[in-house]
Amino acid sequence: MISNPIIQRELLGMLRTRKAVMIQLLVVAVLAALVIFRWPTDAMADHSGMQAQQILQLFGYGLMVSLVLLAPVFPATSIVKEKRSGTLALLLNSPMSSWSIFFGKLVGVVGFVVMLIALSTPAAAACIAMGGVNPSQMLALYGILLLLALEYAALGLLVSSYAATPDSALRLTYSVVLFLVVITLGPYQFFQGNVQGPALEVMIWVRCLSPLPAVMQLMGHGAVGAQGITSDVNWVMQFAILSGLITVASACWTASRFGSKIFDKSRAQGKITDEQSANVQIYRRIMYLWFFDPQRRSGLIGPLTNPVRVKEFRTRKFGRAHWILRLFGVCLILSLGLILMTTMSTMSWGAATLGGIVVLLQMALIVLVTPSLASGMICGEIETKSWQLLQATPLSTFTIVKGKLTSAALTLVMMLMATMPAYATLYLIDDTLLTQIANTLVSLALTAVMALMITAAISSMVSKTATATAISYTLLVGIFLLPMLVWLGLDAPFTHATVEKALMISPLAGALKLIEVPQFVDYALIPLNWYIQAVVSVVSFIILVIRTWQLSRPR
Amino acid sequence: MASEVVVQTQNLTKRYGDFTSLDALTINVTRGSILGFIGPNGAGKTTTIKILVGLSKPTSGSASIAGVDCVSGAKQIKHLVGYMPDTFGAYDNMRVREYLDFFGAAFKIPRKQRMKRIDEVMDITGSTYMKDRYVEALSHGMKQRCAIARTMLHDPQVLILDEPANGLDPNARIDMRQILLRLAEMGKTLIVTSHILPELSRICDTVAIIAQGKLQAFGTLSDIMRNLSQKRQFEIQLLSGDNVGQVEGLVKQGLGEEAEVESYPAEAMVRITTTRTDDDLARLLNALTKMKLGICQFREVVQDLEDAFLSVTGTGRKGAHGMEKASGPVTNYAKTNAE
Repeated sequence: MISNPIIQRELLGMLRTRKAVMIQLLVVAVLAALVIFRWPTDAMADHSGMQAQQILQLFGYGLMVSLVLLAPVFPATSIVKEKRSGTLALLLNSPMSSWSIFFGKLVGVVGFVVMLIALSTPAAAACIAMGGVNPSQMLALYGILLLLALEYAALGLLVSSYAATPDSALRLTYSVVLFLVVITLGPYQFFQGNVQGPALEVMIWVRCLSPLPAVMQLMGHGAVGAQGITSDVNWVMQFAILSGLITVASACWTASRFGSKIFDKSRAQGKITDEQSANVQIYRRIMYLWFFDPQRRSGLIGPLTNPVRVKEFRTRKFGRAHWILRLFGVCLILSLGLILMTTMSTMSWGAATLGGIVVLLQMALIVLVTPSLASGMICGEIETKSWQLLQATPLSTFTIVKGKLTSAALTLVMMLMATMPAYATLYLIDDTLLTQIANTLVSLALTAVMALMITAAISSMVSKTATATAISYTLLVGIFLLPMLVWLGLDAPFTHATVEKALMISPLAGALKLIEVPQFVDYALIPLNWYIQAVVSVVSFIILVIRTWQLSRPR
Repeated sequence: MASEVVVQTQNLTKRYGDFTSLDALTINVTRGSILGFIGPNGAGKTTTIKILVGLSKPTSGSASIAGVDCVSGAKQIKHLVGYMPDTFGAYDNMRVREYLDFFGAAFKIPRKQRMKRIDEVMDITGSTYMKDRYVEALSHGMKQRCAIARTMLHDPQVLILDEPANGLDPNARIDMRQILLRLAEMGKTLIVTSHILPELSRICDTVAIIAQGKLQAFGTLSDIMRNLSQKRQFEIQLLSGDNVGQVEGLVKQGLGEEAEVESYPAEAMVRITTTRTDDDLARLLNALTKMKLGICQFREVVQDLEDAFLSVTGTGRKGAHGMEKASGPVTNYAKTNAE
């Protein structure tokens, strides 16, 4: 296995990148900080092991979140990059079997993640040394993390084998990973206590797709969110089974593609509805309501329209009308589903719970969608060498940036608008909530602007879309979720004041506070949370303008 | 009456720190002509082009197109020049017609005119049949046609095409040649870079050869060939390699030190580069045949643009016999004034 040349090339290639060094240094720094700040300095010994458990919780959740964010980065781009540069064809043409190629890639990318996990062992040992943490508990945690790394690497490689570009592979992999980590928790969370029998079993297994319940059980948080319902499910074991199955299935699927399948694809012929038979034309016009037909011959760009904006819509996979309609539809269905469940009294949700769910949904949309809309904004043009074509036109830098920003913003607004009916329901449930709803909408708008500006600024600072996408996702998820990790550690080990300071930077916490979700009402987050978002947006915008100006001027 | 000069550079120089990418380039290109801009990789061609289209600033010197300075009038230049870089710059998920529509709108061509203009340029470049195809799915030849159509959209006076024939198959190359000649007939001024020199020699009126940032030769193709042909090349083919040394000695004796003589015993051949007249050569041939050394051929090697290029850039020639041949001093052919 170790003689597999792909392992050496993948792993060494990865370790030689600046990105890899930065990630390793970051992990070491964070874990060292954890030990330094939480190592007991009191004269009194903690015989109960409480302090060690608190550190283990931070350590466990932090490591899991880091893995969820970092594990997909390298596998997601691994195959698609080789496919585009032509080296995959050379590999497939070599005497290496498809399984050797797959394992070479898998071990290569997982190797790096395993190294990151290994970097955490001194902190883990320190945790055990404090007493109160069972070594088997720590081993189980490492087992879950290893399975997690393997699963996401296998999934990333599978997505990468289908993707056309590295950034689309990253987007899709992150969407799959976030679906597996977060969305799979939904059914059990919402329907527990109301469903019995096989349906409950299915929901439990769906929940086990996420590593969170397994890690929570290990950390002693198994009952959090259970609403008093006791359960004897072995979340760790069920997660291990599912994770192993997904890894094996993804591996078989990907290896089976390492043959003619991966390249056996004809060029799109660009069939136009107008040139097809009368029956096909009628069918497509009805099915796609004419305007949304992707095969329709589009009209010319209007005189008052920013051509860059139209170009952005047309070139973006999800920018075409039929895709926007689909995304709008999905958001609308989610929103209407929430309304239905509330009004039909399926769930005994109050206004605050419904509001909290809507805010979570919208924030998840912003985090998921914004990098995919804006990460290729500037670097995508430079990467495809079309930036110099834009420069050779009379379009000013301002027009180019405006066109790009408005196209991303419009798509984002349309998707967020689809979730608005839930707010109307909220108002119908309790008409005194009007001010809170209005404030939440302000917070939402600020968050969307901030996410867009951060992503656009990153796009202007790096040279590759895939890098911009990975950095944007990591940064946004970090800004939104890391303060929530601190919030999880309220009173153990963090004080109210520390949690409040951490939540100040999280747009999610700000919005949850405004919609008066009980767990957040005690924190004074607004208006400082808004100011921080506004300042970050303005600074990002300035960076975007300066960088774009630098790229546009003759050198 | 002298032709109108459209593209003019005067002592155009570009330096990056200590490195001089372009060194006092002075060229003039007249309206309706095709300039073949050739040079080895890293010679300074793309730097010149980028200055001409306003994407780069010269360190010193000036460049103008139709009287508009390329630095101070960068905005006007964009309307005067159609630029086709050596990379296509494809946008995914966009059809050819939409692609051209975008660039038409970027050049602020009114909608009605734009529709007509898109049809026109697609007709000129023979790309009408691909109007509904996705640009990323086009073959290389199709992309080059599409790129020329894009370059012509705003009806520029000057078209600057970086490697338009690169990677094309023979048929597509012939088509590309026809398209470029058609554009010149329409009164467009073309600056074309290419590494496929025989291709370029068939269409260019003027040639500029650049190496290490310096202009090595400039003028009409016939001027350069005439300068080059002051030194003609001949090959003496023998029946066997045994007498090659003797023939080499006789040639050196007959033509003097001025002639460069090289012998290839394995090929049974002697190569001569000389400025001597036909009379001198006739006398030499007469003397050689009298010696009965088994000479079966005495032939002149026809010089083409490739020879001119190799000669003036001093890169030597990889002969048919696999031998590296050093060329003569390049300055002999340099002609730095277009007039």
